Amino acid sequence: MTGSSVARFFKPVASLRLTIICLACAMFLVFVGTLDQVQIGVYEAQLRYFKSFFLYFNLPGSNFRIPYFPGGYTLGGVLLINLIAAHVSRFKLTWKKAGILILHSGLILLLIGQIVTSLFEEESQIQLDQGQTKNYSESPYFDELAIVDQSKPDSDEVISVPAGRLVKGQTISLPVAGLQLQVDESFENAALINPNQLPSPTYPHLRLGPMAVAVAIPKTYKQDERNQPAAAVTLLKEGQSVGSWALASGFPQPVQFKVGADPYQIVLRPKRYYRPFSITLEDFRHDRYAGTEIAKNFSSKVRLVDPSAHENREALIYMNHPLWYSDLILYQAGFGNNDKTTVLQVMKNPSRLVPYIACGMMALGLLIQFGMHLVSFVRKRVIA
Amino acid sequence: MSFPQLCSVIKGLVRLGRRGFCLHSLGPVAPAALLAGLALAACHNENISVYRIPKENNQVSMENGSGNLAPPPPTNPASWTKPDGWSEKPLSEMRLGSFEVAGANGESADVSVTAFPGDAGGLDSNINRWREQVHQPALETEQLAQTWKEETVDGAPTIVVDLQSPDGAEKAGAILGAVLRTADRTWFVKMSGPPDLLKAQKDNFLHFVRSFHFPSTEHSQEPPPSQVKSTNDR
Repeated sequence: MTGSSVARFFKPVASLRLTIICLACAMFLVFVGTLDQVQIGVYEAQLRYFKSFFLYFNLPGSNFRIPYFPGGYTLGGVLLINLIAAHVSRFKLTWKKAGILILHSGLILLLIGQIVTSLFEEESQIQLDQGQTKNYSESPYFDELAIVDQSKPDSDEVISVPAGRLVKGQTISLPVAGLQLQVDESFENAALINPNQLPSPTYPHLRLGPMAVAVAIPKTYKQDERNQPAAAVTLLKEGQSVGSWALASGFPQPVQFKVGADPYQIVLRPKRYYRPFSITLEDFRHDRYAGTEIAKNFSSKVRLVDPSAHENREALIYMNHPLWYSDLILYQAGFGNNDKTTVLQVMKNPSRLVPYIACGMMALGLLIQFGMHLVSFVRKRVIA
Repeated sequence: MSFPQLCSVIKGLVRLGRRGFCLHSLGPVAPAALLAGLALAACHNENISVYRIPKENNQVSMENGSGNLAPPPPTNPASWTKPDGWSEKPLSEMRLGSFEVAGANGESADVSVTAFPGDAGGLDSNINRWREQVHQPALETEQLAQTWKEETVDGAPTIVVDLQSPDGAEKAGAILGAVLRTADRTWFVKMSGPPDLLKAQKDNFLHFVRSFHFPSTEHSQEPPPSQVKSTNDR
């Protein structure tokens, strides 16, 4: 394909009209998403409006969804293609256009950075009691059904099934020879109550044990609450049932069972991200201004041990002083249990520097472009 | 990639660069790749994964997630001292401790230790549930309070009940139960079996309950711990 034929191919998508329509749609999306955020919370609003291809309308009484407006991914993707196409078909690589080129390259980088963030960003938390050590962080949003093969003497194999895959009536083939998971019941959010509290014995519930049952409750969108799914599952090996369990993320107690002679565990819990290092909370401080309850400082003194990197050191995490380790950043995010528990936010975002670089490029592009205009304007005035 | 191959790729790129943009050569691949990337971004959290982790000993731990609804986990579960003559049984659903107590004539009693977040449905309903198991009628709070003994175990308010099936019941049974309330959860210790065996084992049961130690939790005389808060909260 020659350069001119590619330019012809790109011309329709390079339309400025398309840019304007996309920008108008994006403004509308931001407006509606911000309004809806009051009802459904920041995270759900991001998922529905910005991290989606379309906004959907659910037909009442059915699972059928009708797309009615482009979502953030569609608009961002079309804008990116539109911008690249405009460069390919219209713009010329000349010094006069250098400012615009740098400015648009910054914009393209910003959009691509957002895609990379969507693809690879990982947000999780480590909740530690004083003296407690963990080598994993947990998702504040997602849960997993973990089936742990404990048959090996030195390590365990974890099969992690996202809770979102647990749909009633489905059978999921696990990527381990011959194992299948049958979902008998599934609640997106569940409350744990005593069996005596059930409105009637036939009220839909999952029996977790002699003193607790899980009942479905509406999904929560509140900022300070999380959905705690519950499910009844049957594990099959070569089509034969190994066992059935009722599990709830609100009570993530692993249940032991055997497949043949091999010991296994099954548990529904917040999704875990295991790390090659461990973090121990040595001390948590919640300092207040003298004579008041107003917080002055939150800090967590932690010990970081990474045998693979021969690392064993203390670190103090406090406001604006996160711990940078490997490709992760650990921030002080919360506390509880009468100031004996700390919550550290763990962020992994390989493109975290991209927005800074992109904005720098855009500023530089604007500076060059306006600078060039200013210089030529001043020159013209001098000549006149 | 060999050096000559690398050189030819660089030369090709330079040639394309001179003609215009390298993007010219991508043609319709670029938008397709972009859309594929976005599609991946939309569903990458729904994949089943398999990975290996170092061994962890969490068989009886009460580890809890970072869920804001769930109480924060204690550093260790409660510890206790098993009386002589009690044999440990494999842990099953919900049990943090499980024992068998053998008596005369092949009789045996079962001892379980469980713990639930919060007040686990309330003290009255739990004691009444035990009463129903030995065919005793459910009672109101005031009457119930007269049937239990109160004491404190390692700072945790504790009540102990001794329940027996009424005379003439079809199947005689008894329950020795203790409910210990720590700041974030309620612990239930229950021994069930034939009345004679439980009578003989009552001292052992009380010793067992009094041996409970809660290393990391604070007890319910103090204000209950709040949920985990954000450091941004005022």
